[in-house]
Amino acid sequence: MTVTAPEAHRQPGRGRGRDLRRGARAGGQGPHGRGRGQKEWHGHSAGYQGARFAVLTVWALLILVYGLAEPDTFLTTGTFQTIFGSQQALVFLTAALLCTICVGEFVDLSVPYVFGLAAMIVPVLNVQHGWNVWLASLVAIAVATACGAVNGALVVRVGVNTIVVTLGMGTFLLGIALWISHLTAVSGLPSSFSKIALLDVGGLPISFYEGLALMAGLAYVHLATPLGRNMRFVAANREVSRLAGVRVNRLRFGAFVAAGLISGIGGVIATAATGGFDPIVSHSYLMPVFASVFLGTAILQPGRFNALGTLVAVYFLATGILGLQLMGVAAWVSDVFYGGVLVIAVTISTLLHARSS
Amino acid sequence: MQTSQHGARTEFADLAGSPALDARDEAAAGLAAMAAPDGPTGSASAAGPVLAPASVLAEVAAPRLRVENVSKTFGRHRALREVGLDLLPGEIHALVGQNGCGKSTLAKVLTGYHAPDPGGRVLVDGSPLRLPVRPLEARAAGVAVVHQSLGLVNEATVVENLRVGRFQAGRLSRRIRWGHERAEASALLERLGRSLPLHVPVGTLAEEARAAVAIARALQDASPGRGLIIFDESTRSLGREALEQFYEILDEVVGTGTAVLLISHRLEEVVEAADRVTVLRDGVVVESGLLTAGLRETDLARLVLGRALAGSTRSPAAALAGPASAARSEAAPSVVARGPGPHASPGAPEGQRAAGPARAAAGEGLIELAGVTGAVATDLSLRLARGEIVGITGLAGSGYDELPYLVTGARRARAGLLSIDGATLALAELDSRAAIAARVVLVPEAREHAGLALDQTIAENVLLPRTGRQRRGLAPVRRDRERSFVKHWINAVDVRPPAPEMTVGKLSGGNQQKVLMAKWLAARPRLLALHEPTQAVDVGARATITAAIRAAAGQGCAVLVAGTDENELALLCDRVLVVQEGRLAAELGGGGVTPEAIVAATYAGGARRLLRPSAARGTTPAAPPDARPDPPEQPGSPQPPAGVSD
Repeated sequence: MTVTAPEAHRQPGRGRGRDLRRGARAGGQGPHGRGRGQKEWHGHSAGYQGARFAVLTVWALLILVYGLAEPDTFLTTGTFQTIFGSQQALVFLTAALLCTICVGEFVDLSVPYVFGLAAMIVPVLNVQHGWNVWLASLVAIAVATACGAVNGALVVRVGVNTIVVTLGMGTFLLGIALWISHLTAVSGLPSSFSKIALLDVGGLPISFYEGLALMAGLAYVHLATPLGRNMRFVAANREVSRLAGVRVNRLRFGAFVAAGLISGIGGVIATAATGGFDPIVSHSYLMPVFASVFLGTAILQPGRFNALGTLVAVYFLATGILGLQLMGVAAWVSDVFYGGVLVIAVTISTLLHARSS
Repeated sequence: MQTSQHGARTEFADLAGSPALDARDEAAAGLAAMAAPDGPTGSASAAGPVLAPASVLAEVAAPRLRVENVSKTFGRHRALREVGLDLLPGEIHALVGQNGCGKSTLAKVLTGYHAPDPGGRVLVDGSPLRLPVRPLEARAAGVAVVHQSLGLVNEATVVENLRVGRFQAGRLSRRIRWGHERAEASALLERLGRSLPLHVPVGTLAEEARAAVAIARALQDASPGRGLIIFDESTRSLGREALEQFYEILDEVVGTGTAVLLISHRLEEVVEAADRVTVLRDGVVVESGLLTAGLRETDLARLVLGRALAGSTRSPAAALAGPASAARSEAAPSVVARGPGPHASPGAPEGQRAAGPARAAAGEGLIELAGVTGAVATDLSLRLARGEIVGITGLAGSGYDELPYLVTGARRARAGLLSIDGATLALAELDSRAAIAARVVLVPEAREHAGLALDQTIAENVLLPRTGRQRRGLAPVRRDRERSFVKHWINAVDVRPPAPEMTVGKLSGGNQQKVLMAKWLAARPRLLALHEPTQAVDVGARATITAAIRAAAGQGCAVLVAGTDENELALLCDRVLVVQEGRLAAELGGGGVTPEAIVAATYAGGARRLLRPSAARGTTPAAPPDARPDPPEQPGSPQPPAGVSD
């Protein structure tokens, strides 16, 4: 398409006032010639860069401090393996939450409970009812996906408030998990099944790589594909997206289904890793999931929910807590650390980001 | 959804002042209000205190508002330098300038949003305000503000909108005393001579009634005969009829000696309604308190731009558009009488229309709309030739503004067919996706709501119609290809700065509108439907957008423009259709497309009323002797409209 700029386009440029000419100069340099003085160019200002890497810097400092304080216990392969080998459940849960949060559905509270139900179904069917463990896993994932679809249908098609739907769904599913397990932990899954989570690959369990691949996949979708861009636009402005031909409701519904699916897979992997599951545990994931995802908005892409930032956040928090525990602080420290770091990090990132723009 | 609503509320609370502070503020306002002993809002006693006796005016000599030497620097950029401004009692003083000239900065300094650089002074009725302006002090001193697009919360009722930030609670129960609030609210509306239902949501009211609510809210802070009201782009969404009502009320208000500072993009409105005008360019006052009497719109445009504006009148515009325009003006039949009925059957042959050369040649290029029916629009049928620009207008609520949305699938039509290049689309089943695939695109009115995602980049916004419909959603996007595509289109509409990676929200309003144009021109439309394409856009950007629309038409795109701005329609369109009560009532073509004719046809043959009743009477008592010599020359005065038969 070659629409030549009509004459009138060029004309206004000449006699245009100072501030507009300033703008013209800014643009005239093109995308590669940005001067340092162009404040509006947030993509390259110091504040923005600071905001991107602030948490990473703190992470490095944290490792340094712990390393100096506890050189014998902290700077060991064991510590490294603990940090990177223990957070798979959280990685999967944050990935599930990101699915819906990235299309503008802010609070899917049901994610940990969908995860918990899937993790519960496998040992219940296998250990108590004698099903094949793989079939039980498939059923668990299907149930989880169906839960996501119900969430999606109620929120997107019917228009019920997201908090209400997912809070109710989460509580309901927790109850179901307690019911089918008769309120007790069920274990005794075959050890061959645990290979899907615990197979040793280069010193770390395979589930670490599974989580990594999942997050990398999400990051790719968000950053590089039309689908990811459409998700961002739906989150930013549904009406604009609809008028541009984006299938807004389908995308939102799909996000809930994907969240259910990922929670289900995460649940199966988690139950495989531990050989069984305790239904009460799903409760304890709720806050860390949200903390990690929101902390992720302060990392790499400040102000945006992003997969890689969330992944960093998960391991950053794990590092902080493990270090404190090695220094002898009691178990309450994890909650204090999660909460405190979340508020402080996001505040600092917001301030840096605001100054840059 | 939720966030936007929340945003509106915060803004609302912001501009209305925090309720927690209102008792103090009420007291302060009470002290300041000399005329009304029980507070500025308690003047229910008089039926028409707005038309105050001249004695009120005699005691005021100082200007209502004096701005002296105000500068504002952002980083290294001086947005305002040594700006001075005087508002005389009883005048409507307009402040104009391009986007980015500093007029919103000045408004924000006056409302306390920005702190000015040291050295300036702002005086209200002779007494200086502390700087930076504290909103509550300013309110107590008699400065009232009506924000952009009236600043009302649509979901809240009339009484809530009027009284927010001023609610009085019971002494012990801390309950809102609704009886008292209702009395205050109805007293306010009575002061304006408007009676409105107090308990309906503001969103359900007609535009003119909403304007009245906004003015009433501002007025309760300005006691009669004192203070001033600042209107910051308040009228941008008002149609002509609402605008007349608006100025009728304003006229009564300034009649008491209260002054009005009117910040507006609509130069024709300024010329017609304001007494004096101050022009800002690059943060400097280039013309201070110029009398609008005898001033022409083009003169004002020249002052605003600092140069003559090409394409602001129709004849050079035709030359601009190149060869296609010649064909178009020939093609447009001069005058076609139109009753409501005759075009109901779409295929009916019509001798007069077939006569145009463009149409004779364009059997395949004809776009036909048949029996389009929406919420109000009923059985609208029309044809557009390739390269033709057809305007459609009418009163608010007449259904004219539905058409762009109905034909592009943005809103479901109840019935109707769209034939384009041999394909026929049923509008009742059309959605945006299918419409874009058929290259039928919409440039909607509400830029922030429906046009652009402001926190995404220019490039992503321009590309959205492509990425939104991509089949292979998981294949990576081709950034290099995208970049040149976006570069091309933002250059074509002259977006400044042409920086694809910049967030749209950081652009000025005019440039945002250009991005919106680029986004949809890039979809290479065969039918381009626009709704108020240059609303709230400065003159420079308006010329660019107009030229871009013409260029698209010059390449064979049919254009449908819905709007209420008769000047814009006259400038842009080959034909203008006028809708009344959902049906086509008149069609203007050829030489008949003039602002006067459009207004006349819109108002069913009546002449365009003056915006300011008193300007015609010449009896505004508060006018300073030299401020209002003769009624200004009115572009739309009673002269009978040419070329309309009804």
